[in-house]
Amino acid sequence: MSVLGFVYRRILHSIVVLFGLSVLIFLLVRVVPGDPVKLALGPHASGEAVALMRAQLHLDKPLPAQYVYWLADALHGNFGESLQTRRPVSQDIAQYLPATFELALFAGAVMATGGILLGTLSAYRKDSWIDNLVRVLAYLGVVTPAFVFAVLFMLFFSYFEHWFPNSGRLDPNLVAPPRITGLITVDSLLAGDWHAFVNALYHLVLPGVALAMAGLSQQARIVRAALVDYLAQDFVAAHRTYGIPEWKILLRYALKPSLIPGVSILGLDFAALMGNAFLVELIFNWPGLSRYGIEAILQKDVNAVAATVLVLGVVFTAANILVDVVVAGLDPRIRLRMGREAA
Amino acid sequence: MRSALRRRTLWVPLLSLATALVLVLQGCGGSSGGTETGGGGASVSETGGAASEGQAGGAAEGKRVLRATFAWPLKIDPAIGTDEAASTALVNLYSSLVYPTASGEVQPYVAESWDVSDDHLTYTFHLRKGVKFHDGTELTSADVKFSFERLMAIGQGFSYLFKGRVASVETPDPYTVIFKLTKPFGPFLSTLPRLYIVNSALVKANEAAGGAYGENGDYGMAYLNAHDAGSGAYEVEEFDIATHITMKKFPDFFAERDPDSPDEFTMIGTTEASTVRTGMANGTIDISDQWQTAEAYDALAKLPGVKVAAFADGGQMYLMMNTKKAPTDDLHVRKALSMLLDYDVITKDIFPGTQISHGPVSGVLPGADATIPALSFDLDGAKAELAASKYAGKLDQYPVVFEWTAEVPSEEKIALMLQANAQKVGLNVKIVKTPWTTIIEHVSKPETTPNLVSIQVAPDYGEAGSMLDIKYSIANQGSWQETEWLGDKEIDSMIADALSTIDTQERLAKYKAIERKVMELLPSIPAFDTVAHHAYRADYITWKQLDDPIPVLGYMFDARFIAVKPH
Repeated sequence: MSVLGFVYRRILHSIVVLFGLSVLIFLLVRVVPGDPVKLALGPHASGEAVALMRAQLHLDKPLPAQYVYWLADALHGNFGESLQTRRPVSQDIAQYLPATFELALFAGAVMATGGILLGTLSAYRKDSWIDNLVRVLAYLGVVTPAFVFAVLFMLFFSYFEHWFPNSGRLDPNLVAPPRITGLITVDSLLAGDWHAFVNALYHLVLPGVALAMAGLSQQARIVRAALVDYLAQDFVAAHRTYGIPEWKILLRYALKPSLIPGVSILGLDFAALMGNAFLVELIFNWPGLSRYGIEAILQKDVNAVAATVLVLGVVFTAANILVDVVVAGLDPRIRLRMGREAA
Repeated sequence: MRSALRRRTLWVPLLSLATALVLVLQGCGGSSGGTETGGGGASVSETGGAASEGQAGGAAEGKRVLRATFAWPLKIDPAIGTDEAASTALVNLYSSLVYPTASGEVQPYVAESWDVSDDHLTYTFHLRKGVKFHDGTELTSADVKFSFERLMAIGQGFSYLFKGRVASVETPDPYTVIFKLTKPFGPFLSTLPRLYIVNSALVKANEAAGGAYGENGDYGMAYLNAHDAGSGAYEVEEFDIATHITMKKFPDFFAERDPDSPDEFTMIGTTEASTVRTGMANGTIDISDQWQTAEAYDALAKLPGVKVAAFADGGQMYLMMNTKKAPTDDLHVRKALSMLLDYDVITKDIFPGTQISHGPVSGVLPGADATIPALSFDLDGAKAELAASKYAGKLDQYPVVFEWTAEVPSEEKIALMLQANAQKVGLNVKIVKTPWTTIIEHVSKPETTPNLVSIQVAPDYGEAGSMLDIKYSIANQGSWQETEWLGDKEIDSMIADALSTIDTQERLAKYKAIERKVMELLPSIPAFDTVAHHAYRADYITWKQLDDPIPVLGYMFDARFIAVKPH
């Protein structure tokens, strides 16, 4: 109950944060130089067409009035029309968000499992060649931007070795499963289409791993550092003297608390994946929200930018809350603190 | 105990697991039934199922497939789209009354013939019978009238070509359509390929109520944003607005087409160099976009079977000078600036394959005056011009601000060249890397327009008049195509006079006179005539338009004239 109270409080806080974010992004996108209507309609649009679009976007009204219109519509799920795609932004988001979410989920899974495995291996083999190799690779992974990995992976695994596809979410000769969640892997499983599932997974590998590399490396380093600390603690030595198997000490007593800092970062990393996926999506021609949002910024697509940032903000805050809950599950001391805060 | 655990080498099973996963994915992911994966998602399918969520790459065995990359987003509503991607899609999905030729003339298309009244104010078109829209209904004069009225009511796209020039459209019978002009307009026929004919019944059936166009609702804008209502050689098979459009051959198309033209034409929305290169190497992309760097084209040309095509597209790169702001308000300063560029270096090294300009319109356009001397690099000449200017001796107080488009990195090289040479003659050039959206904002007023801005402009129809009109007419001031703020009434009236001249040779001669006049005033520096580069798979594509390029955006990609070998 105490954790639940904590979650309620966090949700209330998040609403305030999202409201602030909406004001900020609404203003920012409108003060950036460039007339969105002229950009959208081109140099030869008639005066009537320009006036009509200004009225449709409420750009002929003062800024506060524009915000009120926008907020009222947004609360009803209507984010206006995109100047790029000329269709409702909510329709665009419904199309693009699942693609990015699926990519980020895959990357998050790779990041978590890969990071924990490598970190554990590295800590367990501390100061061995494996440890040194993992640490060097982790450094490289942290400092190398995802798009560099994307290009390298594409060159090695698609250009030189034709192992993986270089673009899209599914081979074009395959029929996509009926859209239920928008995640092709999930939809294909729901439809019992095993081949589409594997094919979609196959398309996820290169962009997903490229996107995960930085987070994976960071995870590996954090898990290693925490685990090395725990393995050197007195209670571990005590366990050993009691004859508890080494694997049990590692997995049950040392690894669990070692994951707490990693999991805390993981949530933030996952949310960041959603926003940072732009270049990876661009390189792999992945029809995702991140790419859509950046294109919207470049074209000053006011409605699309505001909605995209807001959606990413929701994902970010939700991921934070989720991380807090998971961390509370891992550490009873945090549960106690949450209870006190909720009270 | 610890040493025993150490012997349990975790990495061996992990590595085995990873290898097995790759092999399983590789084995399963690309093949199913009669489908076989080539590299990078290239597939060959015996059944050729509908594509979805994927990209170009799949091709049924024996099917002729063409896949090309373009800058995105794509707008396929014929009342909205104007850029290269849109023009390409519209040319393939829709038909028009007439069709442009390489020489700048037009040939019959939906209209099999036409008559022009003696006063050149009435054009009567006689339509072919039996022209079918993609839903099987017949194209009639009512559709032409509806398409025109829809274009003008929406007021976007190519509507400006007809605004104030067409008084009315009449349809005395289903196969005759009469355009009445407000005044003679010489290139009228050349502009008509941009009037794409929509299926009026289909559009009306899909008009959303409550739109901005009265009883026409939204005029079918939401519908035509995602569907086609045309009679072109191809029809929309699948359109994912984020990534690609696949168009399939329309079996009842009324005009000629190459027997080896593609069964499917897919336009892919990417210009990412690594994606394009990998796709071309793997055979999943057949023609590249024109936005690759010179280095990327060099790399593409080295791929087996790939050639790089170059054709003049009628456009020009201008360094537009603000004639209302010091010091570029002085003709001598403008002339000096034009002498500070090494045009050979620009056309050979910075934008390789482009052509040195002779005058303010591309040399491939009918009406371009090839006798106008090209501008040349001349430091001494620049010094002399600066000495003659009203800013002589106080040039340090008047820096020349040069904004180059951040999205086109090669433009910086021109800016740096100008800056370095300007320094040698005592002129201070300040370079500003500026995003395109900001440039558009800056050039909307003379006081915020920089002294110099580099912008490429392309014609909307195949005549020099198209460029002269959009570049130097007073009515076009404040758009990104006319940032010089020239406002010269003599040139304005010369353009109006030329455009209203019916006799083609006389009109072309008038264009040449305008070009000479423009070069005297030198409001902009024509840096080079643009050339579109496209890498293509010459081992299985015969791109026939390359023999006789049509300098009108989109028409080089009319897929019915591109022969493709079956996969």
